[in-house]
Amino acid sequence: MQIAKKIGILLGVLTFCGCSSAVTRVSIPVKVQSEIDITRYSNFAVLPFVSEKQIERNEKLPPEVGGEIASILRRGLARQKHFEVVNTQETSRLLTGETVEEDWLSDMKHLSQLGEYFEVKAVIIGSFRFYSDSRPRRYYGERYSVQRQRYVLDYQDYMQKTYLLSLRVMIIDVETEQVVWDESYRRSTAEAHTIGSFIFSQVGPQANTIRELGRRAVSEFTRQISPHYESEDRYLVN
Amino acid sequence: MLSGCAIISRDTTRTEGYNRFAIRAAQAQLWNEAVFRWKQVISIDPEDSKAHNNLGVAYEALGDMEEAIASYQRAAELEPNNKYYRLNYRRCRIHLRRSGGDAEDAPQLEEPPSTE
Repeated sequence: MQIAKKIGILLGVLTFCGCSSAVTRVSIPVKVQSEIDITRYSNFAVLPFVSEKQIERNEKLPPEVGGEIASILRRGLARQKHFEVVNTQETSRLLTGETVEEDWLSDMKHLSQLGEYFEVKAVIIGSFRFYSDSRPRRYYGERYSVQRQRYVLDYQDYMQKTYLLSLRVMIIDVETEQVVWDESYRRSTAEAHTIGSFIFSQVGPQANTIRELGRRAVSEFTRQISPHYESEDRYLVN
Repeated sequence: MLSGCAIISRDTTRTEGYNRFAIRAAQAQLWNEAVFRWKQVISIDPEDSKAHNNLGVAYEALGDMEEAIASYQRAAELEPNNKYYRLNYRRCRIHLRRSGGDAEDAPQLEEPPSTE
């Protein structure tokens, strides 16, 4: 009787194992198309980005930062096989005597004329805001107390300085003078400071931080307008 | 009858072996090898829904969306209640629609009857 019961359980387990199907999750590459018509917008002129002046909190930055963000974007687009970009030297040469101002962002006619002058299908222009926000923070941890012979709760005060970059990127169709792309990209990075290093960070150069944040924002824009592969999960049944 | 059972059992063992091998190949991103194995499974047992589903995944990975859709559909026809087949098929259609393909032409799967 005992043996029959055991055999019954074993058969039940075997049946259950045989009927259930295990699943293996695999990542497959899926092609994601560009969010713009790349057959139409195949060559661009990227103008220097302008700093939004009305924002009082904007950090003081060297004037060439806008040009550097534009260069990063040019390099990013030039790496894509679908796009041709007017290079930095050529852009500077053609813009000699002109200063890209904030009011250019709304002057489509002027941008369209510039695009014709550059002999491109679309002009990329944009603006940026860069500011920092500092807040005192408290970090809770544990330290070993020799007196009490055990770990005790402890805290440490520090300043958290967060840098924020808001980058607005616009694509203007040279032929129709229409804005075909207008998106903002926000990127941030945080630093922890003691009182001493906080004072130093207030006066120290911030160009590297904005470059890094600019690179990250620009790469998202480039990714959106270029066809690329992403990985997605699918299920294989065993 | 016994010999018939033995042949069926041998075929099942063979197809399971091919399926296991193909899954390992797929995990190593060797999709062409995986397709070859799953096609072998289907040539032995054309009603193997697992092989049709897995073949759909492999075709999708290789970018052959028409074949992928056809394979997912076949798998879902053979086993309409399998949630993984439906999930793969739905995701494939979403991807096709996003990439500008004609996913609208692909038929929608009917909801399986509720078992509760």
